[in-house]
Amino acid sequence: MEYLLTGFQHVLTPVTLLWVTVGVTLGYILGALPGLGKATGVAVCIPLTFYLPPVAAIAMLIGIAKGSAAGSAVSAILLNTPGEPSSAPTALDGYPLARQGKAQKALKMGLFASVIGDFLSTLILIALAAPLAQYALLIGPVELCAILLFSLTFIGGLAGRSMLKGLIAAAFGVFFATIGIETETFIPRLTFGLLELDEGISLVPMAIGMLAVAEMVVQGGNARQLDQEAQAFADSSNPDDRRVTWGEWRRCLPVIGRGTLIGAVVGILPGLGASVGSFLSYGATQRASKTPEKFGSGMIEGVAAAESADNAVVPSSFVPLFALGIPGSVIAAILIAALVLHGLTPGPLMFREQPQMVADIYAAMLCASVILLIVGYAGQRLFAQVIRVPIRLIIPGVLFLCCIGAYMETNSIFSIYVMLAFALLGFFSRKLGFSFVTFLIGFVIGPNLELTFRQSLQLLNHDPMRLAGHPIAILFGVLTIVTVALIARSNARLAARQAADSDAVPTQQS
Amino acid sequence: MKKADFVSGLILGVFGLTMLIFVIPAQIETAPEGYISPRLVPNLTMILITGLSALLMLRSLRGIGYTPMDDSSVFFRSEMMALLKISGVFAVSVALFAWSMPLLAGIALIVGTLIALGERRPLVIVVMPTGLLLVVWLVFYRLLGTVIV
Amino acid sequence: MKQTNRRGFLSAAAALMMGLTGLTPAIAQADSYPTRPITMLVGYKAGGQTDLVGRATAKVLSDQLGVPVNVVNKPGGGGVLAAHELKKAKADGYTLLFHANSVINTEPLMLKRVDFVPDDFEYAGMITAYQTALATQKDAPYNTVAEFVAWAKDNPGFSYGALSPTSRMIMEEIAKANNLDVNIVPLKGGGDMLNALLGNQVALVLSGGIHYKYPDQLKSIAALTTFRHPSAPEVETINEAGYQLGMDSRTTLILPMGTPREMLEKLSTALKAAETDETFAKVVAAANIPIMYMDLDQAKAEMQRSYENNKAIMERAGIEPK
Repeated sequence: MEYLLTGFQHVLTPVTLLWVTVGVTLGYILGALPGLGKATGVAVCIPLTFYLPPVAAIAMLIGIAKGSAAGSAVSAILLNTPGEPSSAPTALDGYPLARQGKAQKALKMGLFASVIGDFLSTLILIALAAPLAQYALLIGPVELCAILLFSLTFIGGLAGRSMLKGLIAAAFGVFFATIGIETETFIPRLTFGLLELDEGISLVPMAIGMLAVAEMVVQGGNARQLDQEAQAFADSSNPDDRRVTWGEWRRCLPVIGRGTLIGAVVGILPGLGASVGSFLSYGATQRASKTPEKFGSGMIEGVAAAESADNAVVPSSFVPLFALGIPGSVIAAILIAALVLHGLTPGPLMFREQPQMVADIYAAMLCASVILLIVGYAGQRLFAQVIRVPIRLIIPGVLFLCCIGAYMETNSIFSIYVMLAFALLGFFSRKLGFSFVTFLIGFVIGPNLELTFRQSLQLLNHDPMRLAGHPIAILFGVLTIVTVALIARSNARLAARQAADSDAVPTQQS
Repeated sequence: MKKADFVSGLILGVFGLTMLIFVIPAQIETAPEGYISPRLVPNLTMILITGLSALLMLRSLRGIGYTPMDDSSVFFRSEMMALLKISGVFAVSVALFAWSMPLLAGIALIVGTLIALGERRPLVIVVMPTGLLLVVWLVFYRLLGTVIV
Repeated sequence: MKQTNRRGFLSAAAALMMGLTGLTPAIAQADSYPTRPITMLVGYKAGGQTDLVGRATAKVLSDQLGVPVNVVNKPGGGGVLAAHELKKAKADGYTLLFHANSVINTEPLMLKRVDFVPDDFEYAGMITAYQTALATQKDAPYNTVAEFVAWAKDNPGFSYGALSPTSRMIMEEIAKANNLDVNIVPLKGGGDMLNALLGNQVALVLSGGIHYKYPDQLKSIAALTTFRHPSAPEVETINEAGYQLGMDSRTTLILPMGTPREMLEKLSTALKAAETDETFAKVVAAANIPIMYMDLDQAKAEMQRSYENNKAIMERAGIEPK
């Protein structure tokens, strides 16, 4: 505790605060620009961290992580182009809200949910990093495999109206994740002799293509209609549409609490990631709601659920890093580099040998939360104006940024090809009702799913009876089956209710 | 949607079978003794996809879980046009990138999309690419000192 | 004095040769090299250990040579993609690859599509070595390979974590020699390996050296290099334990074939400065990477030696490139 107080003294200096602010602002802007994101921010900042003092460098990287996670909600809400897969559930309700003229309300809710989730999760990290990490070690490959399978089924079943199509999309995601050199035998799989595919398809250009480029094509096709709508709602006179009302706060606080918890747990476990966290939270909120059928048409709770979990994952993914030296996310891996660069070794020794340094980082993380609130609050007002710009002027800029974001990942034109190929796939899956987000989540956790599956086969010696020694795995196995059954039943009921309503409700395009 | 589901189920089913029978055996070698086959997981996903798409076709044939409004078409003319136009712009831009310089590719991308989407004001067509490229150049090359291309 | 004379003679001869054969003027300017920024390729994503050492090296080179050295990450196939790119690059000294030499002395032996041999490239020097070792939990009841084998005989079906076919091959060779019953669990990357080891999922792993950061929880039972590790000099090497499986890999400055020797010498001298550079020392010390500098001639000899050594090991083990 004393260390933490001293930590604040170290962080609350103009230089460090400046770099935290630079990190948060840069992350927020990059996150808010479609096509750019965390990956871009990190790529441009690694060289910078060489020249900064350790705390400032690390604070800046953490700022980028937090800022981009919150910023990616902006493009998701305003343009329906989530910067990262983890913000895709934000778009599900955020974009309809923006189209109803309530962009500022959605942006504010997204920001508040982000900051609260982020702040609480940081506190969890500070209080419980060491013990939690020890518990996380109990989760071996067998357990992890069951948890991954459960998450994928739950998300696949929930996204979209048809569970069948959701599961097909998820399976496709896992399939695409198997492309590349297989880690055990080094046998190339489905690479068609292309060296570029040896390390598999890169997520960044794939996500940019599916989430942003494909969406821009669809909007390009509906440009006139979208612009007319924008004219109509741009000047909403109701002040309640621009802020979060007390009634909404009351409804959203429990949602944010749950989202934070889900995000924090998901962040600690290896190999799940922010997109799983935000989707689980969104799904859980939808299931718990009294009006699940209204989700997807502009429910403010949807935005709160997704964003709180999305941001809660960031600090808790540092738990395994600080306690054990194992990176839980991409940013955490980069952070190791930054720490090592300044002569620090993340892991159990860091707490003993460098307690002040750890406290400084904690203090910087808490400051970053507060700065995020300020930067985001100032920024969202500005970004909300984007909605007035005619869509035909937005598309060229977005496509251009997408190309830069995709190219920077590997510095090769191959990334652009990947982006375009998946843009095409994204376009058709959008039109045919296959959830492209489920696809992406399948792709993200696919490598871990396969790896843990194969590890489990070896650890269990190909003997199903040995599963008896893994009660957590059995629990999640049962949960998976129950979920499939439950979702199938409630989907059927939902369809029946909509069929009954469809006489009264005017036809909507989805 | 019903008809679209049937067709997409058919296509996916055929795709899955093609993968299982031809592509995976041709593109993934078998592992030596003692290894878990690298084909295992790709095969499993493809079996799942083939099975699920068969189910999808069956359901769409019998009309389970569809509402009357699902009969409407899923593809709109204007969206397909936008797809074609933007694909064309990207084709030109990628070609320029490969055989000419990246700067031209960037200009072609922005200007091409603007024109394809119906922007005709000369001022916008000149100012927008100049502005965007200038900003990118300033931020990445000058401010951050990283080289993109 | 003698040396300057010889160098002068060499460059004169080189210039004459070039004048005669009419090669590109860029090469003729070896004397003034370098005059513009140098691009340093790294075959891993930004943020990894090798990338880190590469960036620290780039800074030293830049300070020594007086021109910027820009790091460009070209991830793919464990460096194979970057090496291919380098092979196509102009041999003018302005494009170089900083990478583990395993991309040349091990990868081609494992992958059919990679056909590099040491003579495909020039080498300006080596700077650090990887401390690969067989690692286990601190409280494991064995400290040497011999003790491990005795333990393994009493515990058939034990789990061994393997990061690559090479690490699998090592265990298979030991198991074959002693008739052990081993369950080989595939692992992916250093983080996964640490998880498995710290979580007691496996009894032994092959580690690239990262386990030395956990002196309280983990230990080595054998160094898999031909030299004993500076981080644990008391631990025997695998060759000393009676298995001829020691393979070395080092971070190397690799250049395209045909780069003039003068340029290589300049880079080699600049690289030597990393040995005593303070920032560089801090970076590698934090990651437990020992500095083992080799100049260009030593590097070339080491490439040849390690390639032959590794090839012999693979042939004995019956490994075919895939």
